[in-house]
Amino acid sequence: MKDVAIIFRREFRAYFYSPIAYVFTVIFVVLNSGLYMFHFFFFGNADMRAFFSSLPLTLGLIFIPAISMRLWSEEHKLGTVELLLTLPMRTEHIVLGKFLASFLFYLVALAGTLAIPILLIILGKPDFGPIIGGYFGAILLGAFFLSVGIFISGFFSDQIVSLIITSLSCGFLALIGWQYVPMVIDGWISGLGEFLYQYVGVTRHFNDIERGVIDFKSIIYFLSFTALFLYLNAKSLERRKY
Amino acid sequence: MIELDKVCKNYGLTKALIDVSFKIEKGQIVGFVGPNGAGKTTAMKIITTYTAPTSGTAKVGDYDVLENPLKVRELIGYLPETVPLYYDMLVSEYLEFIGEARHLNGAFQKRYDWVVQAAGLEPVLHRKIGVLSKGFKQRTCLAQALIHDPDVLILDEPTSGLDPLQIIGIRKLVKELAHEKTIILSTHILPEVATISDRILVINDGRIVADGSFDDLRKQVTKRSSVYIAVKSTKKDFESALKSVPDLEDVEYDENRKRGEVGAHLFFKSSADPISRMNDLMSEQNWNLLEFHPEKLSLEDSFIRLTQSTGSNEEQAKETTSAEGGAE
Repeated sequence: MKDVAIIFRREFRAYFYSPIAYVFTVIFVVLNSGLYMFHFFFFGNADMRAFFSSLPLTLGLIFIPAISMRLWSEEHKLGTVELLLTLPMRTEHIVLGKFLASFLFYLVALAGTLAIPILLIILGKPDFGPIIGGYFGAILLGAFFLSVGIFISGFFSDQIVSLIITSLSCGFLALIGWQYVPMVIDGWISGLGEFLYQYVGVTRHFNDIERGVIDFKSIIYFLSFTALFLYLNAKSLERRKY
Repeated sequence: MIELDKVCKNYGLTKALIDVSFKIEKGQIVGFVGPNGAGKTTAMKIITTYTAPTSGTAKVGDYDVLENPLKVRELIGYLPETVPLYYDMLVSEYLEFIGEARHLNGAFQKRYDWVVQAAGLEPVLHRKIGVLSKGFKQRTCLAQALIHDPDVLILDEPTSGLDPLQIIGIRKLVKELAHEKTIILSTHILPEVATISDRILVINDGRIVADGSFDDLRKQVTKRSSVYIAVKSTKKDFESALKSVPDLEDVEYDENRKRGEVGAHLFFKSSADPISRMNDLMSEQNWNLLEFHPEKLSLEDSFIRLTQSTGSNEEQAKETTSAEGGAE
């Protein structure tokens, strides 16, 4: 685990070498909070449903791909992948270190939105169950999308290509978790839409947790898919040797 | 210390290495020489475990590169051709990161001080790598390869793009390290390996085409005696006159002679005495002699001959195979 910590420290610091990290955090907080505030002032409800319901799409389409795109693509471009993969470290540990760094960076950005529940406590009496559940879901959702992003960035040396492919993949995972999209797919191939909705779609599982219902199936869904993509990332990097 | 046995490496349909075998003893400095795309870098990538061989085995120390890659990596310091550096880091931060990743722990400070001094990095320690000159970037990368005091040092084109003074500096450093380490360095600059290496492996088209000390190689390529002759004659007459010369194997015409003059490099069998053979011919032909002297191949000529001869051999082999295929 010492190797994981070494890679983690370098990667996490790397986010702050350029102004992109700061810009990203500000945009993430302002955009998500801004979208929510519009809803908040319009309906006047002391809950965060509007904030969390848009999270699978905003995270999947924009924010997570922006965090994950550099993880391997930059290493490929600079040639430092050759350095990393010839260090006396297991590839799995390098992948885990990179993932944890990007995950912590995401958590820092997510923590910036805690201003919303603080505001709700000041202005009203919010139900804490869905808010805590929502943040818990957002943590699991971020981990899952980041694992998809790091896996995809392992294949490309161009960060923009990584960003676009990750965005499309996470967008797809988010959309098939919405009831309407699987219904359309079912219209083409009977049963496929329902299967994707039940077992692959992110939004359905995220909504369960976000409602404050701690369903172990959904937790296992997020954790197992996160682990799977990290494993695939390590294996795909090892495969490149051959 | 390093042993490759019948190593092949294919990238799709391209054969990057074909049946490469060699053994490098501890403490040897070996130069990999060959044109671009010959397979030098692929061989190095296999030794450093970055790439796996398609077939054959590669060992560093007692460890197989596929079975014990982590042990192999501990033994090796590697300077890849791409000079892998994180441009946003300071030189000191980069070396600290490598020191941690190489598990130096308590030994770090001592090694860090040594490597900074040896690579001459003091003036740039607290500068961002991205703003360094190419020479300092190369030296920073060399420092990361040396920081853990590896038994084996693999340097892929270590002086590429450096100015002459920097090249001398790197050569000096490699020579200083030579007593204690096994070093492989690749280059297509021949004088570089000639001055540093104990042994040269010439690689061309994925095969080892020559292996030995620099003098061995020179003997190998100059085993045919050669002379240069320039006379006043026409090319046609000159050619027909040469037909009667025994032991003459090859003729290369000098295209830079004036009209009415013919110049050529003549290659004889090693057992032949080219001077007496040509003296006989000149007295027969009564040529007006312009130039005549024995030739010693230069370093570059040796290199070109080694790589070209294997290339033409392969082409011949391919032609033979296709001719045989056609006959079937």
